[in-house]
Amino acid sequence: MTIDLDGRGTRSLTPGEVLLEVENLSVDFDTRHGRLRAVDGVSWRVRAGETLAILGESGSGKSVSVQALTGILEMPPGRIVSGTARYRGDDLIAMEARSRRRVVGDRITMVFQDSLSALNPVQTVGRQIAECFEVHRGLSRREAMRRAAEMLDRVRIPAARQRVKDYPHEFSGGMRQRVMLAMALALDPDVLIADEPTTALDVTVQAQVLELIADLQTDRQMGVVLITHDIGVVADVADTVVVMYAGHVVERAAARELLDHPVHPYTEGLLGSIPSADLKGHDLPTIPGTPPSLRTVPSGCAFRTRCPLTVAECASAVPPLIPVGPGRETACIRRTSEVPGVTIPHSRLAAGGA
Amino acid sequence: MIRFALRRILAAIPIGLLVTLGVFALVFAMPGDPLRELAGDKPVPPSVLAAERAQFHLDRPLLVQYGLYLKDIVTGHFGETFDGRDIGEQLRLRIPVTVKLALLANAFQFTAGMLFGSYAGFRRNGAVDRLLMLATLFVLAVPFLVLAFAAQYLFGVQLKWFPVSGTADGFPMSYLLPAMVIGLLSFAGLARVLRTSIVETVNSDFVKTARAKGIGEQRVLWRHILPNALLPVITFIGIDLAGIFAGAVLTESIFNLPGLGQFLFQAIQLKEGGVVVLLSTLAFISFIVINLIVDLLYGVLDPRVRSG
Ligand SMILES: Nc1ncnc2c1ncn2[C@@H]1O[C@H](COP(=O)(O)OP(=O)(O)OP(=O)(O)O)[C@@H](O)[C@H]1O
Ligand SMILES: [Mg+2]
Repeated sequence: MTIDLDGRGTRSLTPGEVLLEVENLSVDFDTRHGRLRAVDGVSWRVRAGETLAILGESGSGKSVSVQALTGILEMPPGRIVSGTARYRGDDLIAMEARSRRRVVGDRITMVFQDSLSALNPVQTVGRQIAECFEVHRGLSRREAMRRAAEMLDRVRIPAARQRVKDYPHEFSGGMRQRVMLAMALALDPDVLIADEPTTALDVTVQAQVLELIADLQTDRQMGVVLITHDIGVVADVADTVVVMYAGHVVERAAARELLDHPVHPYTEGLLGSIPSADLKGHDLPTIPGTPPSLRTVPSGCAFRTRCPLTVAECASAVPPLIPVGPGRETACIRRTSEVPGVTIPHSRLAAGGA
Repeated sequence: MIRFALRRILAAIPIGLLVTLGVFALVFAMPGDPLRELAGDKPVPPSVLAAERAQFHLDRPLLVQYGLYLKDIVTGHFGETFDGRDIGEQLRLRIPVTVKLALLANAFQFTAGMLFGSYAGFRRNGAVDRLLMLATLFVLAVPFLVLAFAAQYLFGVQLKWFPVSGTADGFPMSYLLPAMVIGLLSFAGLARVLRTSIVETVNSDFVKTARAKGIGEQRVLWRHILPNALLPVITFIGIDLAGIFAGAVLTESIFNLPGLGQFLFQAIQLKEGGVVVLLSTLAFISFIVINLIVDLLYGVLDPRVRSG
């Protein structure tokens, strides 16, 4: 392992450098009802300075996939069946827990949705932030606390020096999410994984938190993986989008392209009912039917039972991701096989343009 | 904090008066004349009987008697028992016995409860966890008296590992067996509270956050899991400690330990209203004080309570 972790001296990031690359990640759960596949062959990558959004309905495996690769998924019942997650070349999944802890929590950090339950209720926020400096940088308690106050200030919490001594329940939801951010950004990570960081917040606070992430991101070319339900968030901050359905990646594209011309019928359904100018703050519109329970995932394409385009072949095999344009892939035989060789149907591109 | 404590104490006073009055009324209502029974078959001159009645306030109506006993307690004039022992002296001798028994029993309960509870919590559905479940059922099913007599017979009479009864062997030898019986009957409850609490805490989001911070498992355990998992245990221990006096009545009587519980038992048998009111007042005060301490401690350990 060649990771420079001493002091504040984090290696500078080259714009465009691939920081975290997940390949073919599959996660099973052993339950009373047998083995369930929650994440199936997921691949994505995030580059320096880039924001990757993982979009999908509840239960599609977004959280499980990132928790598996960072090693915080409860195993058992969870089990990583296959896959690699390379941080600058080193596979986190194959790594020993001890070495992984030097990456996760230091170079790759996480923010969770519910900041009230995600912070230790009986420790001051200062101590929780300071812990990062103590454990990973070996700072003294005092020095770590001083840096914690600096971090609170950096995420724009007023009166930071006093507030380090407060407990999580003494903050408002938006302020608490800033505390989570301060903790996650304390060590200047290369990759920030934010699992629905703004879902619990109202729209204005949500915008402030996202703006804060964006500001801190440009400072250091940090890569951001943003898990979300909210297409408005994708429209605002994402560079690239990965759409997940029932544990599979069904579409991957640059954010603008995906919003303007969704190719997979599922993505189309997600975007369908909202004009793109009006995306802000909207949760995913409902598509007829409900996402399949993992126990009853349909054979072949998991989406076919809700899909308007479904044909008999959809049931025969899980459709692979197939390139449909530069940097774009979709897993739908109806949308990739129409014109062999050439991919996105011209009619669709024309319709989506303008 | 001081205001909180004062408020609690003031609120407790009327409840305490009601409780002790209730206990006294039950004793008062028991049939028979205590002094005449004490004298046995000996003829007692009516004038002596009347004098003694007056000394113990027995010639007054219930509420007046109760009031006079309370006055004696408040002014510190505990007086004598029916058989002429100085009550203040008795308290001095007996309080240490009960306290020693309580502390030892709690030490057993606490040690076993913490060990089994944390083991079962971290190894859910393992052998220890199942054993704990069985032990809980066993303890619920077997009455205290049966277990106490069985232990006394087996370890005292047959194996002679411990004295059968009395305090002739001093502390801790004379106290070990009764303390273990109490500990055995109460550790399972504590263990289960701790187990449930650990299971809940281990799966909570903030433990995930702690792991995501890349800190070692030991640190996660000591800094994040245990400080949260132990909170319900403190409340449990408080309730448990406060109930010690009730347990002491039976245990001290079975193992013949001259503590407060035994004193209360004898006083009830003799219908000694004054002693009963005094001891139930003491029990109530210790109950309130222990609960107050637990609440204050909880407030120190859980910031959510402090500011709420
Ligand atoms: N411990 C577990 N045991 C069994 N199944 C689990 C467990 N944890 C998660 N799952 C299943 O894995 C699937 C994916 O869950 P995940 O939490 O990743 O969804 P998500 O996409 O993050 O949804 P949300 O948007 O609601 O957070 C779900 O169907 C869920 O039921
Ligand atoms: Mg989730």
